[in-house]
Amino acid sequence: MWSTFIVTLKANLRDKSSLFWLIVFPIALATMFNGVFGNLDQAMSITPVSVAVVEDTNWTNAIGADTLITALSGKSSDTSKTHDDNGTNAVNIDPGVTLLNATKVDSTLQARELVSQGKTDGYLKADDDGRIELTLSDDTVTVANNGTQEAGLDVSLSALDNVLDQYNRTSATVKSVLEDNPTAPITRTFWNGINASMNATKEVTLTNFKPSVMARYYYALMGMACLVAMSYMIHTVTTAQANLSALGIRRTVAPLGRAKQLVAGFLAGWLCSCVCLLVALAYIRYGCGIEVGGREPAAVIAVVVASFMTCAFGTMIGAIPKLTTGVKQGMATAIACSLSLFSGLYGGFAMELSDLISRKAPLLAAINPAQQVTDLFYSLMYYDSYQPFIRTCAILLAMSTVFLAAGVIMLRRQRYEHL
Amino acid sequence: MASETNTNAQPIQAAQATVPAVHVSQLVKRYGDMVALDYFDLDVKQGEIFGLLGPNGSGKTTAINCILALLTYDKGTVRVFGEPMTPTSYALKRRIGIVPQNVAVFNELTVTENIDYFCSLYVPKKADRAPLVEEAIEFAGLQDFRKFRPGKLSGGLLRRLNIACGIAHKPDLIFFDEPTVAVDPQSRNAILEGIQKLNKAGATVIYTSHYMEEVEQICDRILIMDHGRHLALGTADELKAMIDTGERITIETLDLTDETLAAVRALAFVIEASYDGRELEVRCRRGEHNLVDLIGVLRTSGANIGHLTSRPPSLNDVFLELTGKALRD
Repeated sequence: MWSTFIVTLKANLRDKSSLFWLIVFPIALATMFNGVFGNLDQAMSITPVSVAVVEDTNWTNAIGADTLITALSGKSSDTSKTHDDNGTNAVNIDPGVTLLNATKVDSTLQARELVSQGKTDGYLKADDDGRIELTLSDDTVTVANNGTQEAGLDVSLSALDNVLDQYNRTSATVKSVLEDNPTAPITRTFWNGINASMNATKEVTLTNFKPSVMARYYYALMGMACLVAMSYMIHTVTTAQANLSALGIRRTVAPLGRAKQLVAGFLAGWLCSCVCLLVALAYIRYGCGIEVGGREPAAVIAVVVASFMTCAFGTMIGAIPKLTTGVKQGMATAIACSLSLFSGLYGGFAMELSDLISRKAPLLAAINPAQQVTDLFYSLMYYDSYQPFIRTCAILLAMSTVFLAAGVIMLRRQRYEHL
Repeated sequence: MASETNTNAQPIQAAQATVPAVHVSQLVKRYGDMVALDYFDLDVKQGEIFGLLGPNGSGKTTAINCILALLTYDKGTVRVFGEPMTPTSYALKRRIGIVPQNVAVFNELTVTENIDYFCSLYVPKKADRAPLVEEAIEFAGLQDFRKFRPGKLSGGLLRRLNIACGIAHKPDLIFFDEPTVAVDPQSRNAILEGIQKLNKAGATVIYTSHYMEEVEQICDRILIMDHGRHLALGTADELKAMIDTGERITIETLDLTDETLAAVRALAFVIEASYDGRELEVRCRRGEHNLVDLIGVLRTSGANIGHLTSRPPSLNDVFLELTGKALRD
C-alpha cells in the first residue's frame, strides 16, 4: 500500500497536464485578475496629491490654513490635540487619510516652477480674502480625467476640492458672523452651528476584515482550481479498474486488494491536490495580496477540507461505469467550469447570479461544491466568528461522504468484460 | 523423525506437481443472451507452455478473465494450482503474472520505477525486491534504459518493459496475451526466447496470439477454441494430424491449359487448385503420393515444370479449417 501511495504521488507530481491545470492555470488566472482588476481597489482609494503651498502674506493671514494643510498631510499639529479636564494633552486626533504631500514655497513663481518641473501636481495659495485656491497642472488634469493611468488620483482631487471648499465656506461664514457680531464666539450656539455645517464620513469596519471587491473572484478561482483537482482521482480510479485500462488489469490481478490500492491512491491524490492548491493559495495571498482575513492557518485547513471533497468527487466520477477516461476527464472539466459560473468566477454577472442563488435558492448554493469552497475562504475573510467557516467545512465533508459512498457502491458493483 | 518427514514430503511434492496449473471445468459465461463460454474445459499442466488460439470473439479473453477472477461466471469451476480462484485468493495471485496485450505501465515512472512498483505488489520488502527487479531488467535487456520513461522507449522496448513488469516477481504461472503485437522481428524473437527461458526456469505459461508460427514455435500444447467451445487440443503435430488438409504444392509452369487445370482439379486428393498464368497452387488432402500423381498429370498433358515446392500443413491451415474462413468481428 505504501508503494502504491508513493507511486501515485510520483505519477501525479510528474503529470505535466495536471500540474498545468492545478498550479499554472490558477496562478495565470490570478495574475490576469490582478492585472485586469487589481486597480479597482486602488481606483477607489485616496492617494496623496503632491502640491506646493505658497506661504506668502495672504497665507499667513488665512486663519487655520496651516492647520488644515498639516491635517491634510496626515500629520498631527498642536491644535489637533484635544484636552482633557485637567488641561493636559490626552488624546491625539487621528489625522485620518493623507490627502496632501505639501511642499512649502515663498512665492507663486516658485510654486509654478515646481509644477512646470513636474515635481508637484499643482499648488495652493490663499487670496486676499483668505480663500484657499488649488491650481493644477494640465498634465494632472489630463491624468485625473483618464482613470486608467493613475488610479485614485481623481478621487483624491475630488476629496481635496471638497475639503478646501468646505474650509472656504466655513471660513467665510465665520468671518461674516464675526463682522456682524464679534461676541458670537463666546456662545455655544455659534460653535454648534459651525460644527453642524461640517459633515464627514468616517470609515468603520463592521466585518472581520476590510472587504475587498476582488477577493471573491480569487476565492471563486480557488473553488474552480479545487474542482479541477478531481482529475487526480479520476486517473487513480481509472488505472485501478480492469475494464478501463491495461494498468487496471495488471493491478487487479495483483495480490493487493483494490480497496487498499484505491485508499493509497486517494491519499496520494489528496496530498497532491492539497499541495497544488496551497501553492495557488500562497500565490493569491502573497503574490496578489489577497487577504484571507488574517487567518492563514484556517485557510490551510480550508484547502485540506476542499481537496478532500474534490478527491471524493473525483472518486465518484472515476467510478462511473461504461465511460472512458477521456469522457470522465471531460466531465470533470465541464463540471468545474459550469459550477464556477454559479460561484461567481466569471465577472459581475456571475457574482450577481451567485448572490441571487444564495438568496433565492440556498439549497442549490449548498450543493454546489465550487460555491462552498468559495464560501470557505469568504467566511474566513468576512465573519468575526469561525462558525460560518466550520459550517461550510461540515457541508463539504457531508458532500464528500455522499460522493465517496456513491463511488464505493459503483466500484463494488462493477464487473469486467474485457482484458 | 527427519527421515519420516522427508518420506512424507516427497509424495506431497509429487502430488503438487501433478495438480494442473489451471483446471477449468464446464465453464459457462453469458452476456445477456450471448453465450461467451459454452461448457468450456481447459487443463494446463504445470511447466508447459500452453497456447490458447481462437478467432476474435471466440471466448479466449473471457476464459482468461474467468481464470483470473476478473469476471464472474454462470456455471463451472476454475482452479489454479488446485485451489479455487476468487478475487481475494491473494496467495494464488502471488503466484500469477500477467502480460496484457496493451502496454500496462505508468508513463510518469522510469523503467526501474515501473518494474519495482509492480513487483512491490507481490514482494513488499524492498530488500527482497531489489534483486528481482535487477534480474527482470537484465532479462528484458533494459539495462541501458533504466532511467528512461516509457514515452522515450521504442515499441519493442516498451513490450519488453511490459513483460518485465509482469514477470519480475517470478510467478509460477504467467499469462501472455499477444505480447508480440506490433514489434519488429528482432524484438519478437527476443520475446519468444525470453518466454522459453522463463518456462525452462519452471514457469507455466499460457500464451495467446494470432501469430500461428509463434504458437507453433514455442507452445507444448495448443487449444483451439471458437464460439466459447473447445474445438481441438494437442501438440502442433497432433493438431495437424487432425485435419483433412495435407501438403500445399506450388509448381512454376508457363503453359498450363484449361484442360490440364481441370484434370488437376479432378484428382481425388485435390481440395483446391488455382493458376495465375505463372504458378499452379494446389491444396491437397492427406495422402502419400499426392506429389507424384500431380506431376504425372502435368507430364501427360505436356506442361513444362519449373520450380516446385511442397509445404506440409501449417497450424494456420489447422486454424482455418477448424474455425472457418469467414471474417470475424
